Amino acid sequence: MKYFLYWGCSLEGTGANFLVSLKPACEALAMEFEEIEDWNCCGASVSYAGANDLSIKVLNARNLALAEAKGSYDIVAPCSSCYIQMIKVNHEIQEDPELLKQVNECLAEGGLSYKGGIKVRHIQDVLYNDVGVDKIKEKVIKPLNGLKVAGYVGCQSVRPYGEYDSVDKPVVQDRLLEALGAEAVPFPKKIRCCGSGIFLPEIDYCLELVKDILEDAINHGAELVSTVCPMCAMNLEMYQGRVNEKYGTDFDIPIVYLTQLMAVAFGLDMKKDAALNYNIIPPEGILQAALGH
Amino acid sequence: MEKNVNYDPSFAQEVFENVDAGEEIKMCMNCGVCAGSCPLRFNMDYPPRQIFQMIRLGKREEVLNAKSIMLCTSCYTCKVRCPRSIPVIDVMHGLAHYAIKQGILTRRDTANFGREFWNQVYRLGRIDEKDLPRRVFFAAGFIEGIKSTLKYLDMGLKLLLHRRMKLLPERKIKGIQSLRKMLDKAEKMGKGGAAA
Repeated sequence: MKYFLYWGCSLEGTGANFLVSLKPACEALAMEFEEIEDWNCCGASVSYAGANDLSIKVLNARNLALAEAKGSYDIVAPCSSCYIQMIKVNHEIQEDPELLKQVNECLAEGGLSYKGGIKVRHIQDVLYNDVGVDKIKEKVIKPLNGLKVAGYVGCQSVRPYGEYDSVDKPVVQDRLLEALGAEAVPFPKKIRCCGSGIFLPEIDYCLELVKDILEDAINHGAELVSTVCPMCAMNLEMYQGRVNEKYGTDFDIPIVYLTQLMAVAFGLDMKKDAALNYNIIPPEGILQAALGH
Repeated sequence: MEKNVNYDPSFAQEVFENVDAGEEIKMCMNCGVCAGSCPLRFNMDYPPRQIFQMIRLGKREEVLNAKSIMLCTSCYTCKVRCPRSIPVIDVMHGLAHYAIKQGILTRRDTANFGREFWNQVYRLGRIDEKDLPRRVFFAAGFIEGIKSTLKYLDMGLKLLLHRRMKLLPERKIKGIQSLRKMLDKAEKMGKGGAAA
């Protein structure tokens, strides 16, 4: 199973634990990745402040065109913002030939063109639908033994297209967590937004969102929160101290990427492969306890 | 509902013509599902459905100065729930872009954050996660910049210690010149409105 991998800017920085863990965890499942050479930023969810809609579309179409010129594999975008930006322009182009023409007129300025034939997919989609939970279960040598994990889905990994999971009642992350031996706790706020890209400039409003999500996860028994989005991970982990200051709470719950849990359950190295030392709120203790060490 | 409502088409026309996704509001039936779905609804001055109605009513200044249009977290909940399939998020982004382009900075930090984000994309083709907050902090002035830097210093250091902050500045992508040509063309061809 070969794919193009478009990991984006955050996964080289604040979301590095996602990329570091994703590669060995997916290789263990015989997935093969090719980087889109010289990819650019997707524009994320805040570029509209400085750019018109067509510019943001062209920005993403450049990555699609670069991939299409190299092969016909599906593009896997683990970052939910990269995923949504790329799949959005892809959908709109496929539905609107006039738009494709406009986009190509712009791409031509840099000697590129895009036919519209590439598929964009989220990492959860390929794990669930291409690899499948049975194959994932086969690879588990250190099951998470009923560790209670809140699978926080957030927004852009499932909305608005609902390509591989429900936009309102998503289950894919829970099934993947269960395949690793964890207990996926149900919690209604799993699809509530964390503040995403405007968290930093709107921190006074967004801290409450993080408080509500963490409270809901913990009230439903979660010992750990998993996510598949670098903004979710950043906001839920890094701002726990600020939430505690503002609301008098005492949150100290680790936020890990699904791929970090995969690497742990597959028996890979806790540091080198699972990148647990990248986490600010250490998850090692809870994981070791679950594994029975 | 307001009695004796008089619609004033002048601003609506301006929105249809100049705002990205602006014409999408034509289908709004003012049900309020978008308002009920929004994570930041309690912080908005007008819910999206009311913004759309105010556009019909010709309330140009109120709409373009509204805090709401700058508070979209891009969670897409409104879009998936709208019974008329209006991409509410795209309209809000379009209005924010249009307002900012005319120098209206009702949410100054958010506007600066988004503009700096785009400036970096244009300059490098990628985002430098160290440089972005620094530029946003100092866009508010030198003293404000120092204050904000100190306020978030602990977080920056933690990220650095946990290998989640690159030490070196982000380099330009190889195709930066051609990317800029594409974006220049898109800026000219697209909607989004000329500055007033």
